[in-house]
Amino acid sequence: MQNNPAAEIVVKTTEDQDTDEVRAFRLRAREWMKDNLPPRLPHEAGNDFDDAKLVERDREIQKKLHAAGFGGHQGITVPVEYGGLGLDQRFEDVFLEEASPYRLPWSYGNATNIAMPCILGHGTEEQKKKYVRKILDGTHLWAQLLSEPSGGSDLAGVLTRAEQREDGNWYLNGSKVWTTGGHHCDMGLCLARTDPTVRKHAGLTMFLVDFHQPGMTVNPIKLVMGGSEFCQEFLDDVVVPDADRLGEVNGGWKVAQTQLASERKGMARGWHVGMHRAETSPYIEPNARYGKIAKKLGTENDSYTRAMIGELIVYDAVSDLIGKRINTGLRSGKFHGEAGAIPSLMSSVFDIDRTKLVSAICGPEAIASVDEKSANGVGMSRVSTHRIGGGTLETQMNLVAERHLGLPRELGPAPDTPFNELRSNKTAKIA
Amino acid sequence: MDIELNEDQTMLQDMTRRFLEDRSPIGALRKQVNASESFDRDVWKEGAELGWIALFVPEENGGIAESAGGVEDAAIVAEELGRVVFSGPFISTCAVTFAIAQSGSAEQREAHLPGLAAGETLGAWCLSGRGPMAGIDAGAITAKASGNGFELNGSAAFVQDAADADLLLVTAADGDGISQFVIPSDSAGVSIEAMEALDLGRRLYVVKFDSVKAEADALLGEAGKAQDALEKQLQTVLALQCAETVGVTDRTFEFTLEWVNDRYAFGRPIGSYQGLKHRLARHCGHLEGAKAAASYAARAVRNDAPDAAIAVSVAKSHCGRMSTEIIRDCLQMHGGIGLTWEHDIHLYLRRAVSNEQLWGSPAAHHERLCQLAGV
Ligand SMILES: Cc1cc2nc3c(=O)[nH]c(=O)nc-3n(C[C@H](O)[C@H](O)[C@H](O)COP(=O)(O)OP(=O)(O)OC[C@H]3O[C@@H](n4cnc5c(N)ncnc54)[C@H](O)[C@@H]3O)c2cc1C
Ligand SMILES: Cc1cc2nc3c(=O)[nH]c(=O)nc-3n(C[C@H](O)[C@H](O)[C@H](O)COP(=O)(O)OP(=O)(O)OC[C@H]3O[C@@H](n4cnc5c(N)ncnc54)[C@H](O)[C@@H]3O)c2cc1C
Repeated sequence: MQNNPAAEIVVKTTEDQDTDEVRAFRLRAREWMKDNLPPRLPHEAGNDFDDAKLVERDREIQKKLHAAGFGGHQGITVPVEYGGLGLDQRFEDVFLEEASPYRLPWSYGNATNIAMPCILGHGTEEQKKKYVRKILDGTHLWAQLLSEPSGGSDLAGVLTRAEQREDGNWYLNGSKVWTTGGHHCDMGLCLARTDPTVRKHAGLTMFLVDFHQPGMTVNPIKLVMGGSEFCQEFLDDVVVPDADRLGEVNGGWKVAQTQLASERKGMARGWHVGMHRAETSPYIEPNARYGKIAKKLGTENDSYTRAMIGELIVYDAVSDLIGKRINTGLRSGKFHGEAGAIPSLMSSVFDIDRTKLVSAICGPEAIASVDEKSANGVGMSRVSTHRIGGGTLETQMNLVAERHLGLPRELGPAPDTPFNELRSNKTAKIA
Repeated sequence: MDIELNEDQTMLQDMTRRFLEDRSPIGALRKQVNASESFDRDVWKEGAELGWIALFVPEENGGIAESAGGVEDAAIVAEELGRVVFSGPFISTCAVTFAIAQSGSAEQREAHLPGLAAGETLGAWCLSGRGPMAGIDAGAITAKASGNGFELNGSAAFVQDAADADLLLVTAADGDGISQFVIPSDSAGVSIEAMEALDLGRRLYVVKFDSVKAEADALLGEAGKAQDALEKQLQTVLALQCAETVGVTDRTFEFTLEWVNDRYAFGRPIGSYQGLKHRLARHCGHLEGAKAAASYAARAVRNDAPDAAIAVSVAKSHCGRMSTEIIRDCLQMHGGIGLTWEHDIHLYLRRAVSNEQLWGSPAAHHERLCQLAGV
């Protein structure tokens, strides 16, 4: 029969299971962290590229972690020759348990969650030795250079061109946009078109691009919330040595798929590795925030408000249970990989519904407040949107409908149409 | 439904599905409706022989509880019953059986459980009246001490299967305590009046108690102290109802997917239009949510988990609302044919719409969740 849920309770530490070797590692980490890591503040963002100080502090933390022999954030299981410690998962778990009172360098999320698996999966020995190490020792923050002004959903339609010239180097020209943290980054994974005469997925190549060079212009973009976490880049003869091409020439789509899958996986697991560990509960725990809002506004006995609070508790619980169900099914093989799009779609769906209800229980306080600066943040979340990045809501619905449910694909141009015969935003405007 | 069924449970699921496809497919309900019959007693007894009710009954009373998975297994059966919109007293008889197994004296267990397990005795649960908290809060019936026993007065509504039942489980509120009784349905002073019900496979009644005498040996558990037992019964019923709703929705979604793949309009399968596709993707997500919430609830109830009360209300709210939303939209995707009496989809929709309201409306469960969360 089924496991007793009591057996699944996540305890704060698993010290009682330590072997001697693990215990020594734990104690060394505990001792070192005390004097070297800043405390974890409950209201501090996991990452915020509008906060240069936070980014710089994360760089320092990552450097220290590596120098002190802990392999850098998420480096404990990475092979020694690439800058990690080459230890098994148990050591990383123990490290994260011990780190729960402290800040970890979460600004490296794109580097460790996306760039690292792409380079480890598709890179040459030299690339792994050079670039993975530089992530782990704190030298390089990474960006994803995928979306372009002409479109982000249709990723395989990128227009940025890469040409190899006589000197063997690649020269990149075009523009990338919505690059998270671009103004702080050192390197970027850049998808560019190397052959426009073949079908669109077949003419792409992935490059490891150095941000610090004359052809690269990085302009922060101000968003609706007021901050600037994103950038637009203009690439004007940006030089990439052939040694920094990731994967085959015209094999970029394969790398991009690893990249997108790594992003989805990272989001499903929790982007800021180590952040939520200690709070994981096997039980449904209603969020106390809703009741607090109602108490503060004196509406806790209003039946309409209570009905909405009850509904919010349902959203939170079901959203969480869907993730657990699909992940269990993916692990056991009951679901194919495509099902991974379901929790991602549904968390957006529930986010939208939740925002509506939270805003409704707040009433006018959601849009302006005399005593609390953050109050209209509630209303702002109806203005700013969290369902664009990492694939829009519509893109996710297409994925679920076509890949998971197997519904017939949308009719489009013949699949083997060469890229330069497709209509894009550029050609459509000219025409 | 549950993504982690073990081997025994998979067997139970397969066996139940094959049995129902053979003996009680969706067409059976249509025949019963046309013939104005309530349900097929032979099928019910054969189902009972498969252990549908016995899984709540201990071996010494003719059951298999010790080797079965309790409400988790019953939920597997309920889901299969939902897939064929089964017409029969499953949830009501489970409720009564569970209550007697949980709180009954040795004599009560011996008197009632063997017949219930064998499918010979049927039960109905008189819990609540009408109004916003119908299906959750007791209070429609009062019990006052009288002679050696009690006198019951009041009126319960939306009582499933009362006219077919041999036994009535009566939940009465007296002062601040809850007392429960098991009495024969033909006791003097009991009158049973049919309600006009939207679900064609579910019979609902108003049961009136007019100075009904309940002897001392009809009292289930201690007088005034049945609050916890009642909560557990309610959890069990809700877990089963949600599982049934999942079965109803899952089956409808399946044949709707086939339909949108097969049906052409404007030279393409209608399932290739994004106007339908995006809705189906969302429905798929909400259906996975219903499966996740219902199976979580069944397990929480079985294990007496600290969040079992919350889990059943979460599941009821989500399954209740989403099943009707999904099936109604599936009907829409069928076009004109979906509106005909001959098409099965209305039978599914009627069950879902009915389940949404029975055993507490979503709004009632939202209120209950506030109370459970200390709001
Ligand atoms: C928080 C955040 C972080 C981001 N970080 C990065 C980053 O680091 N690097 C990076 O490269 N990009 C990043 N992006 C960009 C993001 O990937 C794109 O914004 C996204 O892919 C959508 O592209 P677009 O904005 O060009 O919209 P478009 O692709 O032009 O889409 C416009 C609208 O059309 C809809 N649409 C498009 N195609 C279809 C279709 N086939 N069917 C139905 N509807 C369709 C879309 O859903 C959308 O609503 C980020 C975006 C956000 C919001
Ligand atoms: C009450 C009633 C009265 C009627 N009276 C008459 C009458 O007097 N005379 C008469 O001739 N007919 C009548 N009709 C028929 C009615 O016009 C059709 O039922 C309707 O046009 C839909 O056609 P269908 O049922 O074949 O569904 P289909 O056309 O097969 O459609 C099935 C589903 O696919 C969807 N769909 C189809 N194409 C697309 C697309 N391109 N994009 C997105 N979704 C799509 C539809 O919206 C629907 O949800 C009546 C129907 C009803 C219910």
